[in-house]
Amino acid sequence: MTDGGIVTAVDGVSFDLHQGESLGIVGESGSGKSVTALSLLRLVPDPGRVVGGKVLFKNQDLLQLTDDEIREVRGRDISMIFQDPQSSLNPVLRTGFQIDEAMLAHGRPKAEAHARTVDLLKQVRIPAAESRVKDFPHQLSGGMRQRAMIAMGLSNAPQILIADEPTTALDVTVQAQILELLGDLNRELGAAVIMITHNMGVVAGLCTRVIVMYAGQIVEQGTVEQIFANPQHPYTWSLLRSMPRVDAVRHERLRSIEGIAPDLLHPPAGCRFHPRCPFRIEKCYTDEPVLEEHGPDNLAACWVTMDRARKEMGADDLVDIRPGAGSGVHKGQVK
Amino acid sequence: MAQPAQIQPAPSAGAAKALVRVENVVKHFPAGLGTSVKAVDGVSFEIREGETLGLVGESGCGKSTLARLVTQLIPVTSGHVFLGDVELTRMHGEKLRQQRRQLQMIFQDPFASLDPRMTVGDIIAEPLDNFGVLRGRKRNERVQELLRLVGLNPNFNNRYPHEFSGGQRQRIGIARALALNPKLVVCDEAISALDVSIQAQIVNLLEDLQQKLKLTYLFIAHDLSVVRHISDRVMVMYLGKIVEIADSVGTYSSPKHPYTKALLSAIPVPDPKIQRGRRLVELSGEIPSPINPPSGCRFHTRCPIAHLPTPCADNEPPLEEKVRDHLAACHYSQDV
Repeated sequence: MTDGGIVTAVDGVSFDLHQGESLGIVGESGSGKSVTALSLLRLVPDPGRVVGGKVLFKNQDLLQLTDDEIREVRGRDISMIFQDPQSSLNPVLRTGFQIDEAMLAHGRPKAEAHARTVDLLKQVRIPAAESRVKDFPHQLSGGMRQRAMIAMGLSNAPQILIADEPTTALDVTVQAQILELLGDLNRELGAAVIMITHNMGVVAGLCTRVIVMYAGQIVEQGTVEQIFANPQHPYTWSLLRSMPRVDAVRHERLRSIEGIAPDLLHPPAGCRFHPRCPFRIEKCYTDEPVLEEHGPDNLAACWVTMDRARKEMGADDLVDIRPGAGSGVHKGQVK
Repeated sequence: MAQPAQIQPAPSAGAAKALVRVENVVKHFPAGLGTSVKAVDGVSFEIREGETLGLVGESGCGKSTLARLVTQLIPVTSGHVFLGDVELTRMHGEKLRQQRRQLQMIFQDPFASLDPRMTVGDIIAEPLDNFGVLRGRKRNERVQELLRLVGLNPNFNNRYPHEFSGGQRQRIGIARALALNPKLVVCDEAISALDVSIQAQIVNLLEDLQQKLKLTYLFIAHDLSVVRHISDRVMVMYLGKIVEIADSVGTYSSPKHPYTKALLSAIPVPDPKIQRGRRLVELSGEIPSPINPPSGCRFHTRCPIAHLPTPCADNEPPLEEKVRDHLAACHYSQDV
């Protein structure tokens, strides 16, 4: 609810997460990826509310639990790390104590918690962990603070670790180290990881399955190989082509996605991507597509899909993509 | 403090003239108790007419300080900055102000860099008003021309910044930077705050404008993929020093400095097949403090190929040409 009315930040999102897998949720700002993650743990800030649906964790609907019950789940079964380690840690408490606290809250004896904190800091590869536990957050670098947050997230050996843009605030070399750490922990500890990010490169290295969100909805999901090699939704396809690549062989003009993401107070009718889509057809203006299977382990919500856009609309040969260009439905043109 | 070794600017490739020359520029900020932050510590380079020079490095390496020195928004501690044949570092007051017309900046945050109480027209015309160039109808025509140039509706001049999206605001910032027909535009993280799909629009716009208006860019960003895409040459900074300058193909395909190599290996490639096969060059430890930078080569504390203690911890490697038009500051660049 805002001054302007009700914003449906996330609208009818369904997916499942398997034990020990690493799932990427990608999307641009405002696509609803963070709200989706916060909804899982009922952490959506006021005045936001989850108004419908279910979150089933081991056959239990987290949305039906009492406040005390959900507090038991948070940090024990499912934990979360956030973008900015600076503001996630309390500046006036020692880092080690804050990690202890996460375990004390779930009933672990104090001495045991404290010993485990040092182990955890070693596990996330903080050098001189024994002395670092006594440091205040400001004495740690950004990368180390994020490592400490990950240690905290892992302290109760959760089955799911949700990481909401955990590397966005960090430099690339530090980002690479944190991603490697998350990958190792995912493999070694068997905890499932949900990686929320706007960076397709991050997903490519870490995740096995990917969900792509646009304007509060899932537009495509599939295995990481399929999403990158053969995306079916025009948004996924355009997004991948609009990014410059560091391993590019020659200079090619970037394929930008024309227009801007819709205002969620008044989402467009039909497919929410149609005002920016190069391959829209008449149906896209009026009928909302649902997620349908378009291949093994691939769901996409599109009336056209890239297979057809390639075959019938010459998608691969489009140089400059204007909305409606491919199908010729609109004044869009192919240069 | 020992003065950094005198470094000759890179010999120009072909006939491209230097638009801006920076010679041994140093900027120290006082940090109390007689110490200072050595934000930029003896750098020399040139920006050639019509090129895009990329500047990359991690936070705290001094890239934004360097941008402000090039545009003379802050005075140098020592060293020289030339614009063509004119030495900016010798100028003050009104004379410097007149020179600054040639040097404009586009900033990172399109929300903070536009005054919310001014109309878009007034924002774009502010440089014109400051220098008293155009008035009345001519001024408004220029504003509309600029709006068209950056791909916005020319009738938007009476609207306010809050009515625009991030990408559109960045276009307004670009229009303002172009109002005085500058020669050099410094883009300081100009697209970092934008979404991927919008980034591509702005990058394409910057490229089009460069062609149309014969602009020269100093393009600063921490995203190395974007810098590679847009730049003709790329300059890499570490802890207040330039460690490598080369054309973007050379820098990326055969880096001559171990820091550049580590930086490149850390960028995720959006392709699972390639990304999984890539090896990360791990850097040990953290970036040292610029208050008390390491002796010799500043990178030696984290360098995977350093020969310690000598020469790397003892002698500062000069920034010198390793292969044609490819400069690096490393004693063992052949081993990178």
